[in-house]
Amino acid sequence: MRARVNPILIFFAVAAALPMFFGATGLFYDAFQSIFVFALVGLGLNIITGFTGMLNLGMAAFMAIGAYGFAILTCDIYPFQVGFWWGLLLSGAIGALAGFLLGAPTLGLSGDYLAIVTMGFGEITLDVLKNLEVITKGTQGINPLPRPTIGGWTIELQDERSWYYLLLLILAVAVLLVRRLERSRTGRAWLSIREDALASQCMGIPPKRTRMIAFATGSAVAAIGGALFAALLSSTGEPNSYDFQVSILALCIIIVGGMGSIAGTLVGAVVMVGMNAIVLVKLADWFGSREQSSSSNVLASPNNWKYLIFGLALILVVRLKPEGLLPPRLEGGTPALPPDASKPKSGVSIGGGGA
Amino acid sequence: MSLLEVRDITMRFGGLTAVDGVTFDVRQGEILAVIGPNGAGKTTLFNAITGVYEPTQGSVKFRGSQVRRNPDLQLVVRAALVGILGAITTFVALNVQEIWTAAIEANYLLDTPFPWSKALRDGWSTARAVPLAWGVVPAVVGGMLGAATVLALWQRLRRTPDLIARAGLARTFQNIRLFTDLSLIENVLVGMDSRLKCGYWTNVLRLPAFMRERSQSAAEAMELLAFVGLADRAHAAAGSLPYGHRRRLEIARALASQPAVLLLDEPAAGMNPSEVTSLMQLIRRVRDRGVTVILIEHHMKLVMGISDRIVVLQYGRKIGEGTPQEIQADRRCIEAYLGAEDGL
Repeated sequence: MRARVNPILIFFAVAAALPMFFGATGLFYDAFQSIFVFALVGLGLNIITGFTGMLNLGMAAFMAIGAYGFAILTCDIYPFQVGFWWGLLLSGAIGALAGFLLGAPTLGLSGDYLAIVTMGFGEITLDVLKNLEVITKGTQGINPLPRPTIGGWTIELQDERSWYYLLLLILAVAVLLVRRLERSRTGRAWLSIREDALASQCMGIPPKRTRMIAFATGSAVAAIGGALFAALLSSTGEPNSYDFQVSILALCIIIVGGMGSIAGTLVGAVVMVGMNAIVLVKLADWFGSREQSSSSNVLASPNNWKYLIFGLALILVVRLKPEGLLPPRLEGGTPALPPDASKPKSGVSIGGGGA
Repeated sequence: MSLLEVRDITMRFGGLTAVDGVTFDVRQGEILAVIGPNGAGKTTLFNAITGVYEPTQGSVKFRGSQVRRNPDLQLVVRAALVGILGAITTFVALNVQEIWTAAIEANYLLDTPFPWSKALRDGWSTARAVPLAWGVVPAVVGGMLGAATVLALWQRLRRTPDLIARAGLARTFQNIRLFTDLSLIENVLVGMDSRLKCGYWTNVLRLPAFMRERSQSAAEAMELLAFVGLADRAHAAAGSLPYGHRRRLEIARALASQPAVLLLDEPAAGMNPSEVTSLMQLIRRVRDRGVTVILIEHHMKLVMGISDRIVVLQYGRKIGEGTPQEIQADRRCIEAYLGAEDGL
């Protein structure tokens, strides 16, 4: 068999090297910081929808829960002030708890019904955030949020390169852990439910419990993404930053990248968010340089028609390559041991060993 | 003593009685065939035994007792916990603004230490001041609803396929149900799930227990694939297998849980004669591993060749039971199934 380099490793190698070429531009960092955040959200959704096959249309709600949880726990207008790292961990835990609470009564539902429930949950979360002004500060958002400190050294907001590597590192850790889950008993149970729920149950896998674990895990990852989203802005932003379109963007990321594929999720985030944050910004600049102000011409501002492009990208992918740009692929990465191997492999990397 | 006692199983779907009072025993180590014309209720019977359906009447006893979750203390505790938590959550959700204002906002000053105990006391007194009708009543109602839901859900989940599979009854399906996007070895490993012990955090952190279990389970899965003759394709996708091999993979997957009883639903359907012969050998070898086999089959050569006993169904009723010789001599069975004139 032909040995292939793991695309996840390529992604991280390229991402780690990129700033050396684009050194100074703020646009590059802006784009990639949000690419990494949405890659995290996509990674969470990939667990729920890609691995376990539960259509979730409310991913933005979990992002918002993570962002607001992080903000309330760390912002100095509240007494908690647990600091950046604890805030990040706890927002993941809050996300998992929220996923668990939403999942407990509803994961008996299947397919479209669950999609409707999650969509409703997204809308309800938005309304709660807008109206619970005592706690969430309504449409102002909560700010300022703390900067991360590593051993006495604080990453300031302007220090974009450090933020870039911090996000890349957190994303790499998340990918590593999700990858480990995927290639274990837990992940196999998720995949088997997606493939055939009845057969999976007849193999002794408790469906509800397994779905719940997947839902909570995915929510936790997305919530951490949301917390980082807020930390980057040093504000939760207004509740509308977590509206239905964000959920759809997350879904687009995993559909374009390839459902159930971690590498695909990363690529999907680059394509979809990159289009939004690089191509459209450049286009806007170009329109601006030709002195076509957006007030005189609606079409001159790409923000007005960006969802058209998202839709077009989605249609193209579904039409031409329905399994996504980087579909999940089988590999010897699952316990790929010959029957006589008695000792476990050492030095397992993200790739899980595609020997 | 029988391994499996099927007693008076009746399955009704609305006005249709698919299985009507079927009773039979399965003995340890035998191969039992269930035959009958199409629509006789064989697969429905399998589904009732393996928990896919809850039988309308009757019972299935495995090793002398029914496989089901019995009401226990844990259930009561769980319902009570959900009720209490539900009530508290409802109460807090209804009054969160007042409590938060009194406990946090009123007590917090920037750059001064936060008086935690005073905040707790203030929050508590605000909560106590909530009028009965506005906070407490909805909370109690919500909590009771939560507890009732737990009990109602449990009632439905008493006898589920996963529970029965874990007790030691594995099955295959008439229309093959493999995990087509997973590799062969992963399919078998899913079947092995009930025997694996590593939990979520062990898997995430790749503790030594995980590494041990991984190599051991992979070796066992390869052994099972070799047993059904598919070891050379262990890492191919299950969906890429030709039809005859899929049946074998399904059997390997079912065997992975080391079941006491294996239920095969039409394993020879669509196979050519040479595949049927090797399938017969495979089923015998499964039995020789100590697994009791129950199979539904239309292929008479296979049924008569390997069964120790046969149960004949027609229109959901059992019309005969006995050794292959006895069934072949039974006029009713022959007429019902094999055709009125020729016999076999």
